[in-house]
Amino acid sequence: MNTVIPAIHTQALSKIYDNGRGCRNITLTVGQGEAFGFLGPNGAGKSTFVKTLVGLVRASGGNGALFGHAIDSLEARKQIGYLPELYRYPEWLSGEEVMKFHAGLLGIKGGEAKRRIRERLDEVGIGKRGSDRVKQYSKGMQQRLGLACALLGDPKLLFLDEPSSAMDPVGRREVRELLLELKKRGTTLFLNSHLMEDVETVCDRMALMLNGDMIRSGLVEDVLQTKVRWRFKVGGFSPLILDWLREESGLSIALADPVHDAEADWDMPVWLEADVSDENQAGLLNMLLIEQGMTLYESSMQKEKLEDWFVETVSGRDQRGERG
Amino acid sequence: MNTIIASTWQEMLRRKMLLITFVLTALFLAVFWFIADTVGADFANGGDLLMQYARRSAILSLGFFFGGFVVAFLAIFSSFSVISGEAEQGVLQSVLTRPIPRWKWYVGRWIGYVSLIGTYALVLFAAILLITNVHAGMTRDYSDIAVSLLLFLGAVPVLVGTSMVGSTVFSGIGNGVFMTMLYGAGWLGGMVEKVRGALPVESEVEATLSRIGALLSLIMPADGLNRRMQYVLTQGAGETIPFLTGGNPPSNAFVWYAGVFAIFAFGLGLWLFRRKDF
Repeated sequence: MNTVIPAIHTQALSKIYDNGRGCRNITLTVGQGEAFGFLGPNGAGKSTFVKTLVGLVRASGGNGALFGHAIDSLEARKQIGYLPELYRYPEWLSGEEVMKFHAGLLGIKGGEAKRRIRERLDEVGIGKRGSDRVKQYSKGMQQRLGLACALLGDPKLLFLDEPSSAMDPVGRREVRELLLELKKRGTTLFLNSHLMEDVETVCDRMALMLNGDMIRSGLVEDVLQTKVRWRFKVGGFSPLILDWLREESGLSIALADPVHDAEADWDMPVWLEADVSDENQAGLLNMLLIEQGMTLYESSMQKEKLEDWFVETVSGRDQRGERG
Repeated sequence: MNTIIASTWQEMLRRKMLLITFVLTALFLAVFWFIADTVGADFANGGDLLMQYARRSAILSLGFFFGGFVVAFLAIFSSFSVISGEAEQGVLQSVLTRPIPRWKWYVGRWIGYVSLIGTYALVLFAAILLITNVHAGMTRDYSDIAVSLLLFLGAVPVLVGTSMVGSTVFSGIGNGVFMTMLYGAGWLGGMVEKVRGALPVESEVEATLSRIGALLSLIMPADGLNRRMQYVLTQGAGETIPFLTGGNPPSNAFVWYAGVFAIFAFGLGLWLFRRKDF
């Protein structure tokens, strides 16, 4: 029996604002050391849920605990680091002074504070620019500073609300690597992000919010393995051969671009897509294509992206969006 | 809490709020010196004692006319967006998730503002009295001076507390407007009382004006404390300058009311802040 206290546990946790928005009846458990991704379109209630967990808003119903401590308790807040989605630090302070202020709030003083501040600023890539005033920082730099502040207390649980949304691709990669490093060290991560790549790379499990409700949750791996699709770039293709290929291989094969079929421009190479369950089936298909005298230019596995899954799951459902 | 208090001081110093205030105050004090010198010209030559009191009263009234305003506006404009403004900017969100109770943040901020603005008010009070003493003499009754100082400083917690309450409810700019109007209402109450005292009006009109003035002063008692302070310093001799002095001074009950008002504003703000969603 696993007696380890979960990092996050909520039971029917709700926060309903006067306009009816918010999040409803969220029951969720995130284990210690786990990386959890929280997805959903704008206005789905993700940030409200996170704010309820970190004690910024009062729950309307249900309850929750962080490492066994009630979510609005000081004990719970001692365990966490939080990077808010929309935030700014006082422009009249330097990055180091912001960190020093937060160290004071955490009760970290003297040499220990200096050491941690230096380490965290280096870790997020601010380094010596820590002595610059915040007003001289770009948005990306401010986001790095936010991350450094969130990490200052060596939290056991890190809530990140869009941690790299303002960063350039290099910055995003650095943050992703930092999150992976934190995960390796055993920090529990709760990642609220629109950047599916972050969730795909970093998270073990995820949940999808829509209109204040949690409509799906599960392992990221399971979501991404629901469909493994192979693509084949083929020359000398004829539509007549498609049925034969399907029959011989027993696989679902289709032209990647149905328009091409209608135009019947078969001199150009075409892309075929096949749903396969393992590499052997892909090999068989390779062999059949070559056997039929076609030229195989390229074949590759197309794992379904989280983004595709997200769009597929959300599309067609009513969405309240950010307004109304 | 010390971290919060220190950061409040740091904010006021770094944003150059105090620097600007000190520079302008120095300019005012220079001008005030010449005004006091002009008004109190006969003081050095002795002369009529009642006239001396009147001149001293006039100088003090002019000094505290400025002093009351500048302390009030410093208190209002330094704290009017402390909660809503910081929440709008996203500064508070990272602070309130730290393991400190919300009340500590609120009390720390309140102490930070009140202590720094109070120190400024103390320096300004001393400077006005010093200049007045040079040009028109001052009372040697130190208990009166101490009481006056307390009354002058009393406006600071009243204004900061109310401004912080407003900041939990209104947006930054909205609260700035609200506080300016509120202070203006209290100031108007004082003016109505002064007008009543200065104009020869029927007793019925006088009673009505007195009621209106009192009600307006109750809405925001900061200016009333200032008027009471001037009265204590001049012991009533200041009725010689219509619209700057004059009328009946606020009573002891009003001073107690102002104290209760400050405590209530502080408590209400704290209560609202602890329940507020960010």
